[in-house]
Amino acid sequence: MTAGTIITARGVTRRFGGLVALDGIDLDVPAGIVQAVIGPNGSGKTTLLNALSGASHADAGSIRIGGHEIFRLKPHRIARLGLARTFQNIRIFDNLSVLENVKVAAACNRPASFFDILTSSARQKQSEADIDADAQDALQTIGLGHRADDRATQLPYAQRRLLEIARALASKPNVLLLDEPAAGMNMTESMTLLDTIAKLKDRGITILLVEHNVRLVMGVSDRVTVLDFGKKIAEGTPSDVQRNPLVIEAYLGRRHRHA
Amino acid sequence: MRLEPTSWPILAAGVAATLAIPLITQDGYIIQLLNIAILNAIVVLGLNFVTGWAGQINFGQAAFYGLGAYTTAIATKSGLPWITTPFLSAVVVVAASLALGLPTMRLRTYYLAMTTIGFGEIIRLIIVHWEPVTGGTSGLRAIPGISVFGIGPQGQTQHYYLLVVALALAMLVAARIRHSALGRAMIATKDSEIAAEQSGVDTTRTKLIAFMIGAVYAGLAGCLYASSIRFISPDSFSGTQAILLMTMLIVGGMGSIAGCIAGAVALTILPEALRFLGQWYLVLYGLGVIAVIVLAPGGLASLASQFPLRRAGAR
Repeated sequence: MTAGTIITARGVTRRFGGLVALDGIDLDVPAGIVQAVIGPNGSGKTTLLNALSGASHADAGSIRIGGHEIFRLKPHRIARLGLARTFQNIRIFDNLSVLENVKVAAACNRPASFFDILTSSARQKQSEADIDADAQDALQTIGLGHRADDRATQLPYAQRRLLEIARALASKPNVLLLDEPAAGMNMTESMTLLDTIAKLKDRGITILLVEHNVRLVMGVSDRVTVLDFGKKIAEGTPSDVQRNPLVIEAYLGRRHRHA
Repeated sequence: MRLEPTSWPILAAGVAATLAIPLITQDGYIIQLLNIAILNAIVVLGLNFVTGWAGQINFGQAAFYGLGAYTTAIATKSGLPWITTPFLSAVVVVAASLALGLPTMRLRTYYLAMTTIGFGEIIRLIIVHWEPVTGGTSGLRAIPGISVFGIGPQGQTQHYYLLVVALALAMLVAARIRHSALGRAMIATKDSEIAAEQSGVDTTRTKLIAFMIGAVYAGLAGCLYASSIRFISPDSFSGTQAILLMTMLIVGGMGSIAGCIAGAVALTILPEALRFLGQWYLVLYGLGVIAVIVLAPGGLASLASQFPLRRAGAR
């Protein structure tokens, strides 16, 4: 499964002192699908996301995104190669407007010369117009177009999560990592989020989704990877994974009894 | 949006008042004080790139101010034409800011503060002890004035207008950078370095650029200081001055161009206006600064934006 695979990770390992948070994870994500990563608390989901995005480097292993080896690259280099992400703990830019938040990412891969900025040249104006158009487009896609001129801090919680997705989208990624995008959202908001994820998939963006809400994951994902104590214990279609006794033992079983 | 709480009528009134001041008062002392306030405003605008936008503490700004001033004074006193001095000053401060910035921009908060304080102290000690060149603690006098092909401002009022133009240019450049990808990247770096990185911003480079722009502002203000005040001494560029510049930025309002001007002008004029209080002036001055920080944490600029005619929205 190398042709058409957009994320290829081999032996990704991350240690925090004596704790092995990721223990030789292999991961292949085919281009254009929604793949979920689930697992109990502390199973290494966010650590895996951080290793893929460069936010916190893996200690060992190989990670290729679209053919580029990104192991130990700085996060902005990985972003420029077409990987965008959102955060479990929302990280928006408080001192910028909603639109400007998105513009930061829309400027990705659009280098501006200092001379052009100072002289406000035609090239600079064109570049800013393109950035503005991309940012507006990302906000519309996510349904935040009407809040463009507000301060980012004025948005309610669920909309801040959406703003993070819009920002990630504006860098025109091939791969989008979503870290618990539905956390803190009510049922209606989660449903809207599902529609949005489907819409992004239709645009050809590969989505890797870390999520606690198992029901949400099963509905939207093409493939599911299950982590437990830093190891991959199962992988397959949502129905395969749901039937896997290891998974039921580690995670789904407990949930099912509660539900 | 806190960047520009001013609407056009306020801006127009501000410009008119600024231009009219020398018509109202002929007092050379007041004009000289305003000239220093304007120079400080340019330096604080520079500091705003580093601290207000990119979020990096910098107590080395006074040293860059001094480097620009001493470069200009030494160059013109040794016979170089004035026109070379802005370039020389810029080259010197860019070199110094790279020397300080390249190794330190990975540092954060306390560590960066300590390093920049150390840098300021090194520059001050060089100025004090390299007496044959810098004049030591007594400074340099009779520095040749601004002159381009024999034409230059005469008297304090002409200098005032020249400095107002320089300040306007400094504000224009700052506003253009603020509304470019570079300015947004600076603020993104301050608000969340990791989110900025994951959005494709090279935060180390962005911090270094902010640091260099800030140094160039200080260096050019130092150049104008030396050749318009025409006397410089190490006291004007000491660690105390570095703290004062930071106070101006905080009192005026971090991140606000108008706030930088307000903070610099207020804290340059206030000590002089309170001089009649004798040794008590520092008490009142300190209380005033505390009052602004407690009552208006966003600085003087945030007070202005409370007015209902504030522009809504970001653009």
